[in-house]
Amino acid sequence: MPNSGVLERLVAQVGWEIRRRRAEFYGLRGLFYGAVLGLVPLLLKNAVGPAAPLIALGVALLGAAAGALRGISLPLPAADAARLADRAFGLQDRLATALEWAARPDRTPLVDLLLADVTARLEGLDGRVVVRRLWPRELKLLPVPAVLLVVLALAPSIPLPTGRLPVFSSSEESETPEERAGKILTDERPKTAKREPLQRAEIMERNLSGRGGATAGSQPGDLAALFKDTALAAQRPDFQSFLKKGDERLRMLEQVDRLPDLKRDFTQSQHKMIFQKRRALSGGLRPDQISPQKLRELLEEMERMGRKGGNWGGDIGEGMEALESGQTDRAMEAMERALSKMRAMEERGRDGRGLRGGREAGRRGRGADRGGSGADMDADFGEGEGLMPGKGRSPNPKGDATDRLRANPFDAGVEGEARSGRKEGYDTNLLGKGTSVPSRLHYMGVFGQYRKMMEEAMAREQVPRDYQSQVKEYFESLEAR
Amino acid sequence: MGNAERVQEFVEAFGGLKAEVGKVIVGYDEVVTDVLVSLFAGGHVLLEGVPGLGKTLLIKTLAAGLELSFSRVQFTPDLMPADIIGTTILLEDPEGRRHFQFQKGPIFAHILLADEVNRATPKTQSALLEGMQEGNATVSGITHPLPSPFFVLATQNPIEMEGTYPLPEAQLDRFLFKLRVTYPALEELNEIIDRTTRSRETEVRRVMTGPEVLRFRELVREVPIAEHVREFASLIVMATHPQWEHAPDATRRFVRYGSSPRGAQALVLGGKVRALAQGRYNVSVEDLRAVARPALRHRLILNFEGEAEGVDVDGMIGDVLEQAEATSRKGKEAFVR
Repeated sequence: MPNSGVLERLVAQVGWEIRRRRAEFYGLRGLFYGAVLGLVPLLLKNAVGPAAPLIALGVALLGAAAGALRGISLPLPAADAARLADRAFGLQDRLATALEWAARPDRTPLVDLLLADVTARLEGLDGRVVVRRLWPRELKLLPVPAVLLVVLALAPSIPLPTGRLPVFSSSEESETPEERAGKILTDERPKTAKREPLQRAEIMERNLSGRGGATAGSQPGDLAALFKDTALAAQRPDFQSFLKKGDERLRMLEQVDRLPDLKRDFTQSQHKMIFQKRRALSGGLRPDQISPQKLRELLEEMERMGRKGGNWGGDIGEGMEALESGQTDRAMEAMERALSKMRAMEERGRDGRGLRGGREAGRRGRGADRGGSGADMDADFGEGEGLMPGKGRSPNPKGDATDRLRANPFDAGVEGEARSGRKEGYDTNLLGKGTSVPSRLHYMGVFGQYRKMMEEAMAREQVPRDYQSQVKEYFESLEAR
Repeated sequence: MGNAERVQEFVEAFGGLKAEVGKVIVGYDEVVTDVLVSLFAGGHVLLEGVPGLGKTLLIKTLAAGLELSFSRVQFTPDLMPADIIGTTILLEDPEGRRHFQFQKGPIFAHILLADEVNRATPKTQSALLEGMQEGNATVSGITHPLPSPFFVLATQNPIEMEGTYPLPEAQLDRFLFKLRVTYPALEELNEIIDRTTRSRETEVRRVMTGPEVLRFRELVREVPIAEHVREFASLIVMATHPQWEHAPDATRRFVRYGSSPRGAQALVLGGKVRALAQGRYNVSVEDLRAVARPALRHRLILNFEGEAEGVDVDGMIGDVLEQAEATSRKGKEAFVR
């Protein structure tokens, strides 16, 4: 087995060369910092005495020695030295490989050949430089402290400043009161916490005019508008800041007089407000018992609403004329017609916002094809009318009213029409307060889910082809509604 | 026989085979070397080049120089897997009894030339997968071992894309090297004309047998590799991955998927063969550099931007090598870099 001693000797040789280069490098660096430090005793020559130049020189040399020592003592893996030697002598990683594999237990027969090969090659090597010399950056700056050292060593000592430094402070008047008044007085005086300047709630500065919908007409400082601001609700709660500083909404709650009427339902539509007023006006009275003044006010209010694009202006005009001529019953009828048109317009607007979906819109269109416009058909139905799907009036209450909506039992209703399918059935639609309940949308949304589940089940399970068409037909009939 | 003699025998066999191929093939010294490196590393080769550059001739000449069975399959769109692997046929013996017998396909040869491999459908291309990786062919649930050594040399045309099916990544990864056959130089072209237009044909001498190839393959695997050289191979492969923190900018920008670990295996095995062919007993960093392009160029999957920009993968591998070297030096003191 070839001896790897030659390799180790070469690696040690290269290692020593590396350490020497390192010692040079770090020694020069240490000399620079030592020279800089050596300036201190020369500057304090007056205090240090005549030994200052010697001390300065000693500090500089000590720095150089410390640097060199550090350079020599830095760790140096043998593999790194072997790689450098490989590169320097063009050994193509032979030395590093041989050195690494010589000590391994799983060495292959070729490793012995490699060791012999490397040993033979090393014998013929010349003593070329393996590690190049590097100079530290500080070397360029070394003349500066060196020259300063010499100059300061030769120059007379610098006199140190003596005496008290002048007082530059001009704030004698602003001494604390307790110095002038004495400790007792300041102790007796009740200490009040430093009051922070009153800050207006940030909501005052919020500009909500840019938001559409309900906040479009709101003024700055409109707290009602703020409560309708969904952006505020969507803010991620930061519990820490909530505890420390207080939430914006909490600060609002401190201003009780500015809080909005939370009992008021902001989701309520114009039509529903008018409908409630109409109900309050009639209150089970006959038309001839109704106050003409209040009826006029209601008609005028409806007329104002109609100016924004409503189509019930004619009905209101008829109602006003009838009221002028003392025909309260005709005025009431005209108001009912106008109310129906108002509701129909709202329904159309809801369709346009996509709340009822395209299928609903399509159905409405088909309904219009079958007989007159949808608005005209809707006009036949009033709020809370009809116990069974379809037209009619029922005095029976339809469940408990919800407190939130401040509704009465008659506010929930259904309208309906005969379905176009083969079997007898009704196509029902919810009226009144129930329309604003979100579950209605979910109820309508399940058709799509059912159809998807049906299609998945048809694809997954082995359904006879004849039955497949029947199942599909059934679900299509649901959609046709 | 001693190890030194074994190595010497390999060096001579390598050089002899190269010389025999050189009798027919003019130029392409690097391509021929890489094909031989792949043969002794136990890998397969994909040769890419425009028609008429002598790819098929190179492979046929190599097969002639080796005492091994050779078969050629011309890949076409209607070629079926059974046309390559073989099929079970019903035979009737003299007594009238019928029985099934497996009829071996052309894959059952030592050297398989898959000519214009990208003309067949992916289904047919995949018929080579098992043979290339496992050295077996499974038909009707029965696994048939392929002859050893089994060496696939496939060719493909890079410019004629119509009616072709680019090899899937899984198939490409099974090739140890992808070699680019380029146009010959002027002097080489003159030599080609001289050799191919005269009446006398060049005879190729058989210089190696199958068992010898297998023996050399074992020898190759004994070549030691230093830790820092092995780490350099890993750094090269890592630098092909755009997700790697030290990946070069070109990789980050143009590469979708980097090389698999097979790429690192190809680098080291190729490096071992190259070192041994030069009579050296260890793998050096230069060996890895030399085989990096053939070993990695088919393993870098470019992204859309890379494809659109027409990025040269070989150039990108140059960046990868530089980055790998810079990373290997990172953190080291200036004196030992």
